[in-house]
Amino acid sequence: MSAIVDLPPTRPASAAQRPGFFQRLFADYGQELVVLAAIVALFVVVTMVNPRFISANNLTTIFSGNAYIAVAAIGMAMVIITGHIDVSVGALIGVLATISGTLAVAGYPVWIAWLAPVLVGMAVNACIGILVAYARIPSIVVTLGALSIMRGGLISVTGGTWITNLPPDFLIAQKSVFGLPVPLVFMVVLTVAAALWMRYSAFGRSLYAIGGNAEAALATGIPVERRTVAVFIIHGAFAGLATILFATQLQVIQSTVPPNLELTVITAAVIGGVSILGGSGTVIGSTLATILFATIGSALIFVNVSAYWLRAVIGLLILATVLADMLRRRGRI
Amino acid sequence: MIHRMNWKSLLRHETFLALLLVVVLIVLSFQSDRFFTVSNLLNQGRLMTEIGLIAIAMTFVIATGGIDLSVGSILGLAAILTGVFWQNIGLPLPLAAVAAIAVGTLAGFGNGLIITRFSVPPLIATLATLALYRGLAEGISQARSVRGYPDWFYVLGQGEVLGVPTQLWILAVAAIIASIILAYTRWGRTVYAIGSNEVASRFSGLSVEKTKLALYTASGFAAAVAGVIFVSRVSTTRSDMGTGIELDAITAVVLGGTSIFGGRGTIAGTMIGLCLIQALKNGLSLAGVKGDGTIMLIGAVLILAILASNLFERSGTR
Amino acid sequence: MTAAPYVSLTGMSKSFVGVKALKDVSFDVRPGEVHALLGENGAGKSTLIKMMSGLYSPDAGTITVDGREVRFASTRDASAAGIATVYQELLLFPELTVAENVFLGNYPRRPGGWIDWSEVRTRTRALLDQLDTFDLDVDAKVLTLSVAQRQRVEIAKALSKNARILIMDEPTASLVEADVQRLMAVVRQLRERGVGIVYVSHRMPEIFALADRVTVLRDGGYVATRDIGEVDEAALVSMMVGRPIDSLFPKADAKIGDTVLEVKNLNHGRHVQDISFSLRRGEILGVAGLVGSGRTELALTLFGMTPATSGEIVLEGRTVAITSPRQARDLGIAYVPEDRGQQGLVKQMAIRKNVSMASIERLSAGIFIKAGEEAQRALDAVKRLSVRCRNIGQPVGELSGGNQQKVVIAKWLETNPKVLILDEPTRGVDVGAKAEIHTIMGELVKQGVAILMISSELPEVLGMSDRVLVISGGRLTGEIDRADATPERVGMAMTAHQSGEAA
Repeated sequence: MSAIVDLPPTRPASAAQRPGFFQRLFADYGQELVVLAAIVALFVVVTMVNPRFISANNLTTIFSGNAYIAVAAIGMAMVIITGHIDVSVGALIGVLATISGTLAVAGYPVWIAWLAPVLVGMAVNACIGILVAYARIPSIVVTLGALSIMRGGLISVTGGTWITNLPPDFLIAQKSVFGLPVPLVFMVVLTVAAALWMRYSAFGRSLYAIGGNAEAALATGIPVERRTVAVFIIHGAFAGLATILFATQLQVIQSTVPPNLELTVITAAVIGGVSILGGSGTVIGSTLATILFATIGSALIFVNVSAYWLRAVIGLLILATVLADMLRRRGRI
Repeated sequence: MIHRMNWKSLLRHETFLALLLVVVLIVLSFQSDRFFTVSNLLNQGRLMTEIGLIAIAMTFVIATGGIDLSVGSILGLAAILTGVFWQNIGLPLPLAAVAAIAVGTLAGFGNGLIITRFSVPPLIATLATLALYRGLAEGISQARSVRGYPDWFYVLGQGEVLGVPTQLWILAVAAIIASIILAYTRWGRTVYAIGSNEVASRFSGLSVEKTKLALYTASGFAAAVAGVIFVSRVSTTRSDMGTGIELDAITAVVLGGTSIFGGRGTIAGTMIGLCLIQALKNGLSLAGVKGDGTIMLIGAVLILAILASNLFERSGTR
Repeated sequence: MTAAPYVSLTGMSKSFVGVKALKDVSFDVRPGEVHALLGENGAGKSTLIKMMSGLYSPDAGTITVDGREVRFASTRDASAAGIATVYQELLLFPELTVAENVFLGNYPRRPGGWIDWSEVRTRTRALLDQLDTFDLDVDAKVLTLSVAQRQRVEIAKALSKNARILIMDEPTASLVEADVQRLMAVVRQLRERGVGIVYVSHRMPEIFALADRVTVLRDGGYVATRDIGEVDEAALVSMMVGRPIDSLFPKADAKIGDTVLEVKNLNHGRHVQDISFSLRRGEILGVAGLVGSGRTELALTLFGMTPATSGEIVLEGRTVAITSPRQARDLGIAYVPEDRGQQGLVKQMAIRKNVSMASIERLSAGIFIKAGEEAQRALDAVKRLSVRCRNIGQPVGELSGGNQQKVVIAKWLETNPKVLILDEPTRGVDVGAKAEIHTIMGELVKQGVAILMISSELPEVLGMSDRVLVISGGRLTGEIDRADATPERVGMAMTAHQSGEAA
């Protein structure tokens, strides 16, 4: 019936020779390398203009002052890799900071004030995860609702007052270990741990599988619903850890978090190479992107750009990074 | 896993919402005798116009499976530019407002270009321009606010035509035109087709790119018009105007039954969602709940409404 | 050969929303046999294999594995019982590596719970070697692989779980001939090792080449199980369809007229190189070639999806530049794409809206859609092409493959095309609908439409075409008249570049 053409097994050119180390590095960590290169270039250029840019003082500002964003972005990256999104994390950090500060001022042991945001963050996100996984409401809808609930709840409970008189023991973000500021240590340790966990653990790999093709993941025997709830809970824990850094970096806790914090965190994850469609990206990328933003912000001050134009320039740079990434991807296809 | 586009379930969602709205109105009017008065209701209409205009355009955008997060920033930019063009550059105010709207429309067109030409996912593209456009507004305003507009300008945001707030007329006309376009024209059909299956739409000879470009441009236009109305309503311009309004608009759209994945949704639904939100805000504040408490309730209503309609749909058509 | 069955299903029934998908079907598989499962689309094959693999739970009936009655609550239970499935839409994860895909959810562990990655890679290598797939890098991301390679990964995945029973759902539907041969060798090898194989396919030659037994389902019901020696193709087809089929390829004699389309030295990228041909009114021009040879790319270039970088397209004597599908449509070129679900249809939308999608401007007054006329035209189309549906408001996604394909064809007929490009018009379409689509093609050419038909199925190309174009490596390697078109000649031209010869 059909023509039988005897052919030797076809050998695709790509698989015949194993790609080299650098080829693979670039294929697997392309976007991370782009961001890293941007950071290095920025450091070189700005330092030439103003050598005080690499003073210890400024480096501390860049790396420590934004560590909480990086920590929150780790959890966000995991959520996005799984194919979901969370626009409520900024409001959550605000709520958690108030809880933590209130406990500290009320005289509870500091470890309780530190532990509470982590546990509450996990509990809140467990609810979100359950609504997403079992009630099948799209995550953007659930977290949009959660954002309103927490933002409104926070202001109506605190009335917008600040928490002051924080006990000195509580302010962990202002301490150092081995001469390194605590936020920096948090950021590095958590990023490395999370990166290894995502790369080598069965749990981490299953998140990529779910984000890549949830239906196929289910058919492969991965408990998709349970994992979805779990990833939101982990994200809540990271939000709690981020809160510890955020709440303790100043002498007071404002009841308003930086506006659009959730968008900053999402942007960090995405610029770091996490596909918004799920299934790919790394937490190393999200941390690098956070550092990039912080470096840009600081660099603009050092090259005397008016503070009023800061956001415009950052926006432009984000846009440039996004477009560069798109062109790079298109070149590969 | 096939998600059904089913008129019955669509109607069910809107009917359910409309009933909810009626219940809320009744409950609130018992809570406070000041709620169900003509003047209060008209005033509420005044307050929801800006979100409403943005939500109408957002309904189209979300129905194609996209999203526009930059509308709040475009609103702020248009507001600032109205003031700057008038006071600093010295254009006549009507011309200044038109120029500001033109820039806002251009900003939307920019979103469209980034999305269609470079195939950047809309969420990311508008996340980036959210920062960019707000940054431009801040940079241009240098934290100065512009006040002292001539009295006639306040007609737009504070005046009335035939006893109804001026901007409510604008919202009503916009809503009627938009719902006709979405329901009865080939443009509307194209929007749903793109939202359901963009590839097949392209393979059927529909102009996918042009349609999307037009929608993001329209979204920028709507946000800019809302910006000018906003200025007229509050008598001043500040660069942080409209911060977070994108989330309010998206809430209204999604609450109104538009699928966040695209392919279905109606203007009527969006309008009911919008009214529900505004009624809750107002009624609760009249009942003595602080302004921020109402935001909480809106969040809860959003989640519960989608949850309820999900449950209905599952028990009904399956 | 008559070993006791490893798996048997007895009296299986399943309903969805009141519709019986499967009624009282029994089926068994012995170790070391290939048991073919046949039936038209909608006959209940997928429902049956999904129950066997634990994806659906039956409403009634029992499953026994190795003599013990079992109940599968999930795919995990089925795979623990030694049943693995290679689905038609391969369930792989493009961003993960080959090795990860094989062992996902089933990783070998080191003490302490960490995954033993070197073990994962070594064992994947061994599994692929067993399948004679030495050329696949275990660290390659799956997104870089071809369809045939991905299928190997799926099979390796099934074997990694020590499957005793392997269910293969239309494994050759998207493979080229050479890969089909390699796959059949793998299937035979697995059978020799004592694996029982459930083989679902529409392709008769494969079934006769591989199967030991065959079971036929029709309309959710059980028809018969036979040893392959007891039946022939005609018998199987009539068991499937429930009526005898007169002719598989009803080639209608149409009058061939003037040249409609002339293509000269067309180029686009690597896949369309220097292609020239002409197409006449009333003619069916078949396009044969291996997957990746540039057949579909040629169609996409003509349709304006990937506009030509050089060359000339002459339509009815006028030279045209086609830069978008919209423009192609306006010029009278229609394209029924290869991937029906993704490219051809908007599945959630009603039949009515799908039928009018490419001709919506003509059905509009200004920007307003004339709803009455739209409905009338959809009704006519449904009747003319005998699309089986509840009504024209039914979402297309609920129709069977053959009826979906008819809706795509109806959509393009609404544009009154001069040139109709059909890309794999009968892929995934059952036998009955296939014959109907061929009849429709015959009627169209009688009305003077020119058809360019791309197909992987050589019998279809040979049976339906007036002339055959053969493409290999992006170049035209043969143009053969119907009278001279034999499987051997076409097959030779299909692989022409392999021997370095361009015919």
